Amino acid sequence: MVVLNQKVLEEINRIKSKYHDSRSCLLPALYIFQREYGWLSPEALEAVGEILNIPKATVKGVSTFYAMFSHKPTGRHLIQLCTNVACMLMGGERLLDVLREQYGLEPNITTPDNRFSLVIMECIGACDTAPAMLVDTDFHGNLTGEKVIDILEKYK
Amino acid sequence: MITITINEKKITLEKPVTILEAARSAGIHIPTLCHEDILEPYGGCRLCLVEVEKVPRLLSACTQYITEGMVVRTETERVIEARRAILEFLLINHPLDCSFCDKAGECDLQDLAMKYGPATGRFAEGKRKHPESYDDPLIVRNMERCVLCSKCVRMCEDVQGASALCITNRGSKSYVEPFSGGRYNCEYCGNCLTVCPVGAIMSGLHRHDYRSWLIEREVETVCSYCGVGCSLLLQIRGNSLIRTVPKIGRGLNRGLLCSKGRFGYDYISNSERLDTPLIRRNGELQPAAWSEAITHIARRLKEIKENHGSDAIAGIVSGRCTNEDAYVFQKFFRGAIGTNNIDSVASLAYGPAQRFFERIFGQGVTANDIHGISNSDGIFVIGGDPTGINPVLGLQVRSACKKGAPVVVMGYAEGLKRFSKHAFITNSTTETVLLASLVSEIKKKKSLPGERPVFEEIISGLQPVPLKDASEMSGFGLNDLVDTVDTLSNMINPSIIVGRDIVQTSTGHMSLLFLAALAYLLNGRIYLLSELPNEQGLLDMGCQPDMLPSGRPLTIETFRTRCEETLGIAIPSTPGLNYVEMIEAAHAGRIKALYVMGEDTVQGLPDRNYVSDALRNVEFLVVQDMFLTETAQYADVVLPSLSWAEKEGSYTNLERRVQLTKKAVEGEGIEEWKIISEMSKILGLDMGYRSVTDIFTEIVRISHIYREITYNDITSGRCMWPYKGGPLRHDVHIEGIELPDIVSVMKNADESGVQVRREAHLFHSQNASRYSPALQSISPEPYVKMSETLAGRLSLRDGEHVKVVTEAGSITLSVHRDPCLPENVVLIPPFEKGGIFEITKWKVNPVTKAPALDGNRVIIET
Repeated sequence: MVVLNQKVLEEINRIKSKYHDSRSCLLPALYIFQREYGWLSPEALEAVGEILNIPKATVKGVSTFYAMFSHKPTGRHLIQLCTNVACMLMGGERLLDVLREQYGLEPNITTPDNRFSLVIMECIGACDTAPAMLVDTDFHGNLTGEKVIDILEKYK
Repeated sequence: MITITINEKKITLEKPVTILEAARSAGIHIPTLCHEDILEPYGGCRLCLVEVEKVPRLLSACTQYITEGMVVRTETERVIEARRAILEFLLINHPLDCSFCDKAGECDLQDLAMKYGPATGRFAEGKRKHPESYDDPLIVRNMERCVLCSKCVRMCEDVQGASALCITNRGSKSYVEPFSGGRYNCEYCGNCLTVCPVGAIMSGLHRHDYRSWLIEREVETVCSYCGVGCSLLLQIRGNSLIRTVPKIGRGLNRGLLCSKGRFGYDYISNSERLDTPLIRRNGELQPAAWSEAITHIARRLKEIKENHGSDAIAGIVSGRCTNEDAYVFQKFFRGAIGTNNIDSVASLAYGPAQRFFERIFGQGVTANDIHGISNSDGIFVIGGDPTGINPVLGLQVRSACKKGAPVVVMGYAEGLKRFSKHAFITNSTTETVLLASLVSEIKKKKSLPGERPVFEEIISGLQPVPLKDASEMSGFGLNDLVDTVDTLSNMINPSIIVGRDIVQTSTGHMSLLFLAALAYLLNGRIYLLSELPNEQGLLDMGCQPDMLPSGRPLTIETFRTRCEETLGIAIPSTPGLNYVEMIEAAHAGRIKALYVMGEDTVQGLPDRNYVSDALRNVEFLVVQDMFLTETAQYADVVLPSLSWAEKEGSYTNLERRVQLTKKAVEGEGIEEWKIISEMSKILGLDMGYRSVTDIFTEIVRISHIYREITYNDITSGRCMWPYKGGPLRHDVHIEGIELPDIVSVMKNADESGVQVRREAHLFHSQNASRYSPALQSISPEPYVKMSETLAGRLSLRDGEHVKVVTEAGSITLSVHRDPCLPENVVLIPPFEKGGIFEITKWKVNPVTKAPALDGNRVIIET
């Protein structure tokens, strides 16, 4: 069982109260859990189901549908690197090499020190500032190899 | 009236239905994979595409409703081409492993591919891979075969209400999975098996045992597990029962089944079944011939009758016996032995409750249509979990809830947790007080309708119990109780569902009165949950110490003499002992011979030691059963009995529907009625029956509630008594009902400590399920359910083993934590080893004469 902290519960209940049907609160609740625990464990899915009175299987069906929810443990910081057309043309794939050399990161891999996890994204809607990436919820554009290392040094 | 043309054929329909329904009503077949009548239209598989004139694109027949003048063509070149294309897409991933798939021969995809499909696919890339899952004891999942019609998920969510399945991931990686990804851990209704059009979800019980075309016969019969009486189709090859399946839309279950009906049939082929009579010689049970056993029993009964009188002999019937067997049994006791010491398991809870309600409201008050529940605007459940005891009835509760009816539950109901608006779990005395309090508050809000002045006097005389006091005693918040009173008062046509837990306490008779008052105030229909298939039939057949067949008291001389004249036998005029009194009399040594037909007395009553002592005290004990049960081990003669699939007969379900059970396979043994007729002949009463039809004809002759039913009339699900509108007894006997002194009950109640209560478990229904390897494999380990607080205080985790100790004994069980339970209640189901009856004391309710399970305090030792 996930140890629920009171803050999470309050936040979910606050969102829940805005809707007539608690199902509407399912995605926000999953977001909150992902933010707090880094990933959605089976226990977390079960807890969401219990809070919202939604069958846990339904919660699982919804959460696995969306790519933005992780169902495996991730590192402390999640790097979402775009390698779609615009970013690829602007050198997005070279950044992948930088991450590989500097931190030993591969797509869908977490560093041994649990600091970073890397996910390859198909377009994060930032083609004007390509190549671009997201670190947790922070957006970074116009990247170069050095810039990536500088940025990531801020995330411990 | 809407007229449409399908395939150049004019069809006129009254209501706007879908094209699919219109076509099917005219006998035109449109193929589907994702459509099921019981489910909402889905339009997912696109195989039902049809061409509609003036509409440029093809339309899916299952979602498109007909309009006046519509011209539909279902088998044009264009439609066939579209279907072929869809099948080609489906076959991209579907493995072509029909040669070893169990579904082959009854697979919708196979049939469609044969009819429309391309002979070869053009897709060069590999098929998706997903290992077959054997993690579950009963259900095998092969997700490579899945065509994602989602019927299983919709069935599970919309109809069953279990919501155990979901489609995980998306696109070509979508799979149907239970939450765990492996084991289902669900209610195992198996309705997903019924609807799966391909071999993606299959039963593990008969895996690779046969091919569907090898089934030789199908027999439509009634399930042998609970009082609902679902229709079942038994599929047989040679002399073995291959599987049971429902028929969508047939019978009162309309194609739904529960775990017991679907998977529990394997007890009939259990290797432990008895196949020969056993007689105790030199202290040991030894095989004997049938004729020897029957003569031996008859001789001993005769001796005991001569030496100790008729009333030293008693008989108990199980709820698994058919109407015919039960009728012959009571006739044998009344006519051949000359005693009214005849009773059945129905008297443990179902009988007393029914008798009480009939006393107030008249005969047949609990005879209500199961499907009515889903149309009520409110449900009050007390004393048992309908989804566990009578699962198909329980579905009606969930269905009503989905339509918006509030559900109020008193007592533990695992399957209604997500569906109940208010739920109160307490100790049984508190339950009675809470009920009394609800009634006294509702009484203030609702005016008495004036239909039954005598009963209204009783209601007005009930002592008021303020909600505040009930709240203090039970620990539930006052606001919660006020809300509940409001919810209940706003119900216009509620269903009130009563389980056995409310009867089996020392305040059970009071609870029944409060319930009757509640039903009267709310204008509610009463449903009694029945744990065995023929409890109602046993009462109707006169397997009661004071009632003749059809519920007529034998103390009334006109009834008795009429019965005596029709049957040509003499019936003693004094009522006999009931089940519980028989055991007490046996314990005291007053019963010398006991004949138990099909019931495991030791496992069915509180305090195993007391009951065992009673049985040991009996000079001559005859047990007739399929297995060598604990009761049978004390017997002097054991007779093997036939299972429900091996004999003919009829069952009467809890809504008074008389249904036939049919012989499907040959069993080793003799029908109960034949055995008893033989004995009866030796004792001097020749009953002269040649078949069950003869017996049924006699039942109809003497029983006004079965009037005019013929044996051939009872086609599945059509025959409810009173058949052909015969009058029921409307006289009520309210005189003599004592006003309960609930205030002093409240004052004297000692609710300290932790008390144990019985949990009616879905997979452990205390009878045949015990011998079904399939049902046993689901959750074999006996457990105790306790609250989070209690478990936390003792620092116990789920699955840890503890010793549960009471005054009566101790058992070791594994812990299940349940946040819904209050701190002072633990629940234990009636497991064979480690069940609740091992640690409860012998106690009887003085008024209803039902066993009482309350007041057993437990200490949990880690």
